[in-house]
Amino acid sequence: MIRFLVKRILLTVPTFIALIFLVFVAIRLVPGDPVEVRVGEHGISPERLALLRHELGLDQPVWKQFLDYLWQLGHGDFGRSLSTSNSVLGEFFTLFPATLELAAAGMLLAVVLGIPMGVVAAVKRGSIFDQGLMGLSVAGYSMPIFWWGLLLIMLVAERWGLAPVSGRLDFVRFDYDTPTGFMLIDSLLSGEDGAFVDALRHLMLPAIVLGTIPLAVIARMTRSSMLEVLSEDYVRTARAKGLSPFRVVGLHALRNALIPVVTVIGLMTGTLLAGAVLTETIFSWPGVGKWLIDAISRRDYPALEGGIILISALVILVNLVVDLVYGVINPRILHGR
Amino acid sequence: MTMHRALGWGLAALLLCSTAASAKTLVYCSEGSPENFTPALNTTGTSFDGARPVFDRLIEFKPGTIEIRPGLAESWDISPDGKTVTFHLRKGVKFGATKGFKPTRDFNADDVIFSFKRQSDPANPYNKIGGGKYDYYNDMDLPKLVTSIDRKDDYTVVFNLSEPNVTLLADMAMDFAAIQSAEFADAMMKAGTPQQFDQVPVGTGPFIFQSYQKDAVIRFKANPNYWGGKPPVDELVYAITPDATARYSKLKTNECQIASYPRPADLAEMQKDPELQVLSQPGLNIGYLSFNAQKPPFDKKEVRQALSMAIDRGAILKDVYLGAGQQAKNLIPPTMWAYNDAVVDYPYDPAKAKEMLAAAGVKSLDMDLWYMPVQRPYNPDAKRIAEMMQSDLAKVGVTAKLVTYEWGEYRKRLQAGEATAALFGWTGDNGDPDNFFFFLGCTDGKPAGQNAAKWCDPKFNQDLAKARQLSSQAERKKLYDEMQVIEHDQEPVLNIAHSVVFLPMRKNVTGYAMSPLGTHEFDHVDIK
Repeated sequence: MIRFLVKRILLTVPTFIALIFLVFVAIRLVPGDPVEVRVGEHGISPERLALLRHELGLDQPVWKQFLDYLWQLGHGDFGRSLSTSNSVLGEFFTLFPATLELAAAGMLLAVVLGIPMGVVAAVKRGSIFDQGLMGLSVAGYSMPIFWWGLLLIMLVAERWGLAPVSGRLDFVRFDYDTPTGFMLIDSLLSGEDGAFVDALRHLMLPAIVLGTIPLAVIARMTRSSMLEVLSEDYVRTARAKGLSPFRVVGLHALRNALIPVVTVIGLMTGTLLAGAVLTETIFSWPGVGKWLIDAISRRDYPALEGGIILISALVILVNLVVDLVYGVINPRILHGR
Repeated sequence: MTMHRALGWGLAALLLCSTAASAKTLVYCSEGSPENFTPALNTTGTSFDGARPVFDRLIEFKPGTIEIRPGLAESWDISPDGKTVTFHLRKGVKFGATKGFKPTRDFNADDVIFSFKRQSDPANPYNKIGGGKYDYYNDMDLPKLVTSIDRKDDYTVVFNLSEPNVTLLADMAMDFAAIQSAEFADAMMKAGTPQQFDQVPVGTGPFIFQSYQKDAVIRFKANPNYWGGKPPVDELVYAITPDATARYSKLKTNECQIASYPRPADLAEMQKDPELQVLSQPGLNIGYLSFNAQKPPFDKKEVRQALSMAIDRGAILKDVYLGAGQQAKNLIPPTMWAYNDAVVDYPYDPAKAKEMLAAAGVKSLDMDLWYMPVQRPYNPDAKRIAEMMQSDLAKVGVTAKLVTYEWGEYRKRLQAGEATAALFGWTGDNGDPDNFFFFLGCTDGKPAGQNAAKWCDPKFNQDLAKARQLSSQAERKKLYDEMQVIEHDQEPVLNIAHSVVFLPMRKNVTGYAMSPLGTHEFDHVDIK
């Protein structure tokens, strides 16, 4: 187990260096550097442009900038954001809990609803429920997130008043410190009446929007995987032995059917962490997705590079956890390595 | 959650909201996070708006106007040679206390000296903190203009200038000239956390900073000791909401009472909503098409005039600005005191344009027409405008090829004089006419970088320099009138439009005065 873990972690090192290099070069290929994008219609004199570039080290050859950056990273220094002058690491971890909270809520929703829906659809294959569910999952998968978010805001928030439009908390009612950055936890820690429910209400719509695509994928994946497993001999044997349908489906079949589903959950968690930009924008959710987009538009090299490296590290970590979960579901997988 | 429970929570929230409203909390849905809270370091309106409630300047703009009035300087004197400006500071002005810092003294000359020395003096310990770029201080040419800033006594500060320049007064009302606490700066430096100085604003303004969560919220409370009187609301909350549609939704649900930058497509619906009011004001900006006066045949004024007459600006205003624009005949908008209304605009007259082109010896013309890749306050859709112009020009036998670059690259190439004709524009910084006319200015006979038309007219430049040295507004107006006539005759740029700026808010919001400079200010705003 430890050997497996060490091997996996060591394998990520070259991936990381390649990734850092790619990000480093790609952002510099985009026209306009951090100094130029700051210049408005005022223009800038060539002397001042050269001075500001020099101060940021942008007048150095790219290979030297890259080596300097690697050296800096090697010392655990992700640098300071060019637009805010705050530490990149500090900014990332201020915003990341919001993204993680949203991604976790979206994924929880997708798993809690998607797996049972997929199982029931497989068991009742060909029924109206199955067909309706699969139709809905196609719709969910293909629905543009922006449209879906705005639709929910218009109906649920504006028309029915069941949820707030956006944000993480009602700032008029509540004003407390957020030591963990996870609003659900902080609301409980604050001890303020109604804060937890308010935080939950704010989380509701973004989580539904973010969880919709994973929900559709998980439901479909569970269904097809279950159908395959349900036709296996050992399931027939279990049935022949007189086990209850619940035990056959819920214990014997589902456990084996879950392996591909867990893979998908792992992959999608990575996507959710990195790709919640649209949801964060629509719902004014202060996460890292929007922060990264702003960093691109401002050519904030340190923020962008640091953010991508940190998110990649988390995605790799999630996939590592997924590999370990395989082992728990089916110990033969881990032992076979 | 059942429907009943949800409705229950909804009702409870509503009740609490109404309680909060009686405590006078004004929620402003802003469009983004400030980069930091030191205006001198910033360039964006979003960052300036984030810090403005906390700070005052030596000179202020009267609410809703571009007229200047005393701020932290009660009065000022200009020496007869125009090279010394003495500011007499207001006494008894308190800085707001914040978490971890309680001011021990009132505002005085040290704060003024610190706020400007940080930007001008490389030896100042804060000069390099926060990136130390000070774009506005440089853009307004203050390093050249201000030779020294001296402290005469606790309440008198003297600015020594290299040449007389009356625009310094308007510069002093700009955000970069906000006065910060020198005592707080010292405290942060001693604590070894100078960066913190730019993250926690301590000023003398109408509101006191409470807290900030990036991309989520900025909280302020009213300053009970404000020298200008306590603001009518007790708390001011910026709910950071980057999406314009979400801002509109929050306005409808009363989650905020004022929302910035509405989508033009939502305006009609907003105006019909009985719960909302939409304020509007002509923006202090100009969108124009520059002709490169150094490239033939654009070096002939007749060609520039002809092309201007070939373009149907009325159609552009209707189809692209969607009514949120005002056709421009001068470089400056009509809201400015120097506006010359006697100038007669060029009509849309393709037949005349064709004749003039032929008379100028231009039989067929292939030209590049540059358009910006981004939306700007003065130009909502440059590509669409360029397409319409292309079609208009084709009617007079001119073939225009549309060209664009990434925004930074676009400005760089334009500044370098690569464009033949390019869409560009300007948003005023301080309401002084000089702040518009300077971008057609030249230094030593060479066009300045921002002069996209690369046009130099000796008389225009002479008037421009002279107007800076006059303190009489009437005298200055005479010069600016003349400059507008020259600019109109020479037509280095075709003035297209001044955009109209809108601000939606709840009906119960009173006392909001829209600033022509596009800033958002809440010190006189109340909720009824």
